[in-house]
Amino acid sequence: MSKKTGALRIISPDGIFYDGRMLGVIMPSLDGQLEFLPCHEEMITVIITGELKYQTEDEKWHVAAVGGGVAETANNRCDIYVDFAERPEDIDKNRARAALERATEQMRQKKSIEEYKISQAALARALTRLRVADRDPF
Amino acid sequence: MAGSTDIKNRIKGIQDTKKITNAMYLISSTKLRRAKKSMEDIEPYFYGMQSLMQRMMRHFPETEHPYLKTNDDRPESEMIHGFLVVTADKGLAGSYNINVLKETGKLMEKKASRLYVVGEAGRRFFDQRKIPIEENFTYTAQNPTRARARVITNTFLKDFEDGKIHDLTVVFTAMKNSLETETRVMKLMPLEKDLSVKDVPADVMREEFIIHPSPKEVLGAIIPSYVAGLVYSALVESYCCEQNSRMQAMSAANDSADEIVQELKIKYNRKRQAGITQEITEVSAGARSGRI
Repeated sequence: MSKKTGALRIISPDGIFYDGRMLGVIMPSLDGQLEFLPCHEEMITVIITGELKYQTEDEKWHVAAVGGGVAETANNRCDIYVDFAERPEDIDKNRARAALERATEQMRQKKSIEEYKISQAALARALTRLRVADRDPF
Repeated sequence: MAGSTDIKNRIKGIQDTKKITNAMYLISSTKLRRAKKSMEDIEPYFYGMQSLMQRMMRHFPETEHPYLKTNDDRPESEMIHGFLVVTADKGLAGSYNINVLKETGKLMEKKASRLYVVGEAGRRFFDQRKIPIEENFTYTAQNPTRARARVITNTFLKDFEDGKIHDLTVVFTAMKNSLETETRVMKLMPLEKDLSVKDVPADVMREEFIIHPSPKEVLGAIIPSYVAGLVYSALVESYCCEQNSRMQAMSAANDSADEIVQELKIKYNRKRQAGITQEITEVSAGARSGRI
């Protein structure tokens, strides 16, 4: 018997990243990982920068680096809105490494809280990208 | 025949100028196409965010958020109005810049205001009139990106939080249809709370949502992206209009260059013909006098 599936859409400002069926999606939320399975209860949640995993109908897991955003699920449809979404093969590792260096450099300098937060966010993005780029899903 | 060389030079000059205007026309048309493409890419994200925002407002109308605070209790004399003015980096685009600046001038009359100006043309305009604008706010209008919209948004969101401005209005240009453009004024901050509550009949069954971790956190995550999306769309829309206006201005310039060249050519030919006639008259007169 085939498993129950749900609709999943991952949308970033650069366009629709994924639009199809899923068996499950695991995303980084404020207090750890959170998984939506098909027919999940109606819910809206905040997503932070990190790695997002989703299982497609062929039971394969896919991984993506995502930026902060919101996820919403209702009536077995899950919509995820994120600042960016990238597949491991699309990630520019050199750029991410350079960004990481720049961010750590900036965090070391004494700056305003605002600038510190900006560097912190840049650091999180760079680390996520690097981690996802080197990763096979499971 | 001193006059004819002058005319010839002028024709050449005009043809050279036409080459430039023609190139600008072509550049604008490619830029316009690219800007429209990026506008289309962002649409699903933006509309999704918008509907999510509306849903949140509908389900939790009582949620408190600093960006939702209205200015009802603040007297007009204490208000500081913020204006985000989107202009081009250069002129040569017909009345594009002037329309936006005129509208801004009308809006900020007799009000305490703070100006955030995008684009070199606008900055120069206010500099000349000694109207103070926000310093360190030097963003170009060229190739609007989401990152830039984000930075712009953060700047005024911070000023809004710090109480440096109490509301924010965006003055930009939008396409009315594919040919006409119009100046638009959009009230951005504080956000409207009752976005669409009125559209929903009272007896509609609504899904109950779990909000994780709290409505406030969720709104905090959505609002900056939502506002940045609005700013981005204003930037892109203006950019499209700028290119469109420039295309029209340049094609008008091309047409009038053609017209002038045509006129000058006729003048030149007449002059040349007159010269030839004169020479013939002189030669034949000389020949006749020799015969006698």
